[in-house]
Amino acid sequence: MEYLVFQILPYITITIFVLGVMYRLGKWASARIVHNIVLTPAPDTVSGAAVNYVAEVGLFRSLFKGDKSLWAGAWLMHFALLNIIGGHIVGFAFLGEQFKFIGTSPELSKQLSDILGTSMGILIFVTLIYLLYRRLSITEVKHVSNPADYLLLFLLLSIVTAGNLMRLMPEYSIHYETAQAYIIQLATFQPVELHQSNILFTLHLLLVQLMLIVFPFSKLMHLFGMFAERWIINRPYVEPAPGLPGAKAGATTNTANVVSGGKTTSGGV
Amino acid sequence: MAENKYKAPGKANDSEMRALFIDPVPDDRKVEEALKHLKYLVEKYRPLMLAMESCTKCGHCAENCHTYLGTKDPNNIPTNRADLFRKAWKAAYTVEGKLFGGLVGAEPLSLDTINKMYSYFYQCNECRRCALVCPFGIDTCEVTFAGRQLLHWLGMVPKLQASVGAAMYRTGNHTGLPKPGLVDTCEFLEEEIVDETGVDIKIPVDKPESDVLYIPSSADFLLNPNTMMGAAKFFHYLGVNWTMSSEIAEAGNFGLLFDQRHTMRHNTMRLLNEAVKLGVKKIVWGECGHGWRTGKMYVPSMADRPIPVPIVHLHDETSHYIRTGQLKLNPEANNHPTTLHDPCNFGRACNLSEKLREVLTPCVSDFREMTPNRERNFCCGGGSAILYDDPVMYDLRIKFSAKKAEQVRATGIDQNGDGYLVAPCSICKAQLYPMVEEHKLGVEVKGLIDLVGTALYPPINE
Repeated sequence: MEYLVFQILPYITITIFVLGVMYRLGKWASARIVHNIVLTPAPDTVSGAAVNYVAEVGLFRSLFKGDKSLWAGAWLMHFALLNIIGGHIVGFAFLGEQFKFIGTSPELSKQLSDILGTSMGILIFVTLIYLLYRRLSITEVKHVSNPADYLLLFLLLSIVTAGNLMRLMPEYSIHYETAQAYIIQLATFQPVELHQSNILFTLHLLLVQLMLIVFPFSKLMHLFGMFAERWIINRPYVEPAPGLPGAKAGATTNTANVVSGGKTTSGGV
Repeated sequence: MAENKYKAPGKANDSEMRALFIDPVPDDRKVEEALKHLKYLVEKYRPLMLAMESCTKCGHCAENCHTYLGTKDPNNIPTNRADLFRKAWKAAYTVEGKLFGGLVGAEPLSLDTINKMYSYFYQCNECRRCALVCPFGIDTCEVTFAGRQLLHWLGMVPKLQASVGAAMYRTGNHTGLPKPGLVDTCEFLEEEIVDETGVDIKIPVDKPESDVLYIPSSADFLLNPNTMMGAAKFFHYLGVNWTMSSEIAEAGNFGLLFDQRHTMRHNTMRLLNEAVKLGVKKIVWGECGHGWRTGKMYVPSMADRPIPVPIVHLHDETSHYIRTGQLKLNPEANNHPTTLHDPCNFGRACNLSEKLREVLTPCVSDFREMTPNRERNFCCGGGSAILYDDPVMYDLRIKFSAKKAEQVRATGIDQNGDGYLVAPCSICKAQLYPMVEEHKLGVEVKGLIDLVGTALYPPINE
């Protein structure tokens, strides 16, 4: 079992994840933006559109304007998730001592990593519970939910629970050094050496891999969908030849400046 | 019969469909054909593909859709409307749908689903409020567009849309008025203007050597004559050399609403051809929401050749002349409490909201915003021309407008029974006339250029 989860499955997971995501994105890319369906009022400069784009993608602005509690749950969940993924990466890379680059001692850095990791783990757990509660308690959300929507929440909650328990129970924790060595062995196609038997860690790793395998075939693709869809409806839009005056003066055959200002006609995409 | 399970408008019959060059598909081949069309549409339109594949079902769209708010029918939740497509798409064309079926929300397409599509895609107002509030910006309007396209190819189009489409091919306007009827109507309206103002104002049709081609909504000839007269007064006041065309006396383009291919292109090219034939220097678009969306956003991608002349909206023009001081208006002429209904297409698809205000505020003495307004406004409930008169659909229309009635009441303009509800869009007007009666609102529905016509100062008869 552990040999499978630690040694074999990771290669299968990564292959499915990468190929699957590429397949889905390729399918999206081969569909075209046929007409200009920008949502107005739209900015008329690229920098203006970039501000909107960042506000939507980074801060979930539309959601904030419409539903504060969902926004809080969703944004905090994603915020914690990003911190956790980032924490895993720098943890593997710098063994928890990354904060010494901003002037802390290695010990303090490890302490900070612990505090940050634990609090983010608890935050994501709480927000996921809220999102699950919301899905179960609001009539409209119940109406639109599929079994898969609940299953994905349970999957995420299980991953987070296993991770949190490893943090909170010292006998199940994994040292930075062990994890780093494991990643290096995997990446260099060497046999992995994990001497300790740790059921929580096995479970954590198994579920994460399950999530990555499911990823390209599920709504988790909304990660990329966000960027793709926002690019369609939050683009800049240049007004038709601004303030076109009366009939006589308005006559022009400059077609580039007619209906669309030439800039965002969908033909260019 | 399965078809009667769902509330739906009366369908065009076979000969009416042939008038739109469609040979209706018999029931036993519908599923098979629909699946082909589904694949074609989803793989062609990226916004549609993204609606199929990246919705997280957060349910935020539900409380923001007036059709759901008015009917509480879960099928009217935007993401559930999209599910009519999504389920079939997943079941037929995705790995997860083939492997896990219902678990991931996949369901093979059936004739019943097709009938359900016909019902619920024609209960969508295509107002795009869901796109505005969706955290990802998924535009369910695109799904409705595609859904109606697919149904059109199967030969399932409501009588209303089909007859309008056919009238357009035949006469160049939606009401089916031939040229003599058009000229007669214009002469009648000219007499009305003389009676009202004492000034002889021409409403020209096919006048050679004109500078401006004005394309009114054809509803303005019969249903909203004040809008037609308002536009005539406006052009007369400024001394514009304008005309209408009997070939294309129509601002609307029902192609947008049921057939974005041949019908939309045909109507677009009919206009561009006529602009060249008449030798005009500019096209001015009348008060029509979906029509202007087509004119502004779709003409560039539908036109078969470079667009010969500038195309602007009537209120681009009026706001320009107000800004330059050439159009003087007397707000006391419209001494009524007034609110503005932002047509969805103007607010969320054409960036016209601010200009409407620039035009309206100098025309009236008491302007009150409704909440929400501008791009966050709710649809009138008639959007995308679901203006059906049979009792079942009419009842739905009135339910769809419940939110609108609530908004109008909140402004307080109806309290003395003399309020003006300004809606610069023919479909909005057609929906709001019965809606203000049904919801017992003490307001009169007005077009925006109507009020401009009344407020022109010095009064046009001096």
